[in-house]
Amino acid sequence: MSETAAAHDAPTSTGIDHKKLIMWLFLASDCMFFGTLISTHLLYRKLYPSGFTDAEGHQRFIQNLFNIELTSFSTFILLMSSFLMALAVSAMHKGEIKSFRRNVLGVIFFGLIFLGCQVFEFTHFYHQGLTIQNSVLGSTFYVLTGTHGTHVAIGVLWLILMYFYSFTGKLGGHMGALDVEVAGLYWHFVDIVWIIIFTAVYLVEYLGPNGFWGTGLPAVTK
Amino acid sequence: MSSSPEAAPSPEFLAEETRRYHHFITLALWLAVVTGAEIVLIFVPVSMPVVLTVLSLMSAGKFFAVILWFMHLIYDKRLLFWIFVAALALAFATFTALLALFSVDVLDPKWIS
Repeated sequence: MSETAAAHDAPTSTGIDHKKLIMWLFLASDCMFFGTLISTHLLYRKLYPSGFTDAEGHQRFIQNLFNIELTSFSTFILLMSSFLMALAVSAMHKGEIKSFRRNVLGVIFFGLIFLGCQVFEFTHFYHQGLTIQNSVLGSTFYVLTGTHGTHVAIGVLWLILMYFYSFTGKLGGHMGALDVEVAGLYWHFVDIVWIIIFTAVYLVEYLGPNGFWGTGLPAVTK
Repeated sequence: MSSSPEAAPSPEFLAEETRRYHHFITLALWLAVVTGAEIVLIFVPVSMPVVLTVLSLMSAGKFFAVILWFMHLIYDKRLLFWIFVAALALAFATFTALLALFSVDVLDPKWIS
């Protein structure tokens, strides 16, 4: 703990504001929740590595569906939104409400781009024959990335409300900065979950001459 | 969300916030570079265990960089850090236990009957 933090201890038994403590406890529980979802996806990829069968009865491989350029783009967008969120929190601590609004608008915009990419990806996968019902892969993939997408959507909604609330003049002082910081914690958490999903769900599929799960790479299976 | 009349931030506090601001910019650039390197890495013809190890380390680096600086854990009370690390340890233990459980490919027939 730095001296700056010590100088701003909250008047609670832990020295931590209750809102912040509760948010961290929630994030800790959400961390275990996502840990379970990611574990389930990876285990079922190991047990059923052959991909899925589309509506016409053809065996398909997930690497054929993935668009690594699109996913990389959305990953970059989410990372930069996290950066803007950090700047928004910093602006609120300094009492610069206009800077806060600018940065939060950027976060909302990037969050919406990310959600747009995910909707496009889901639609594309669905039309290629991967549904939540036709394979174990579809079930675990859609549940995992869909749950993450829902978290992003909740974060975007939260920030939109906070943006408009800032015009009422009630989002100021220490409590206002704390409210923004708590929203920021949630947004950064969504970002770190995607950091893991990007590697564990997307990138590993491209490893090795036959793919990480030994099912072949797109060039081989097309 | 309540408002209260409060004093303006002290010069020391503003200086600290400005210092953090520069850290955030550096970190954002670093995150972008590491993400780019990850994408390049998967197409490099190196043995899979090596690539997997490097990818895992890069992801872990990004993960902890975000929670330490963007989420202020490095500046906040230690208790928050340990709460989150405890949850991470539980999540990782769950993953390890499931992996071990499902890695039993051949069961002894005497346990199946």
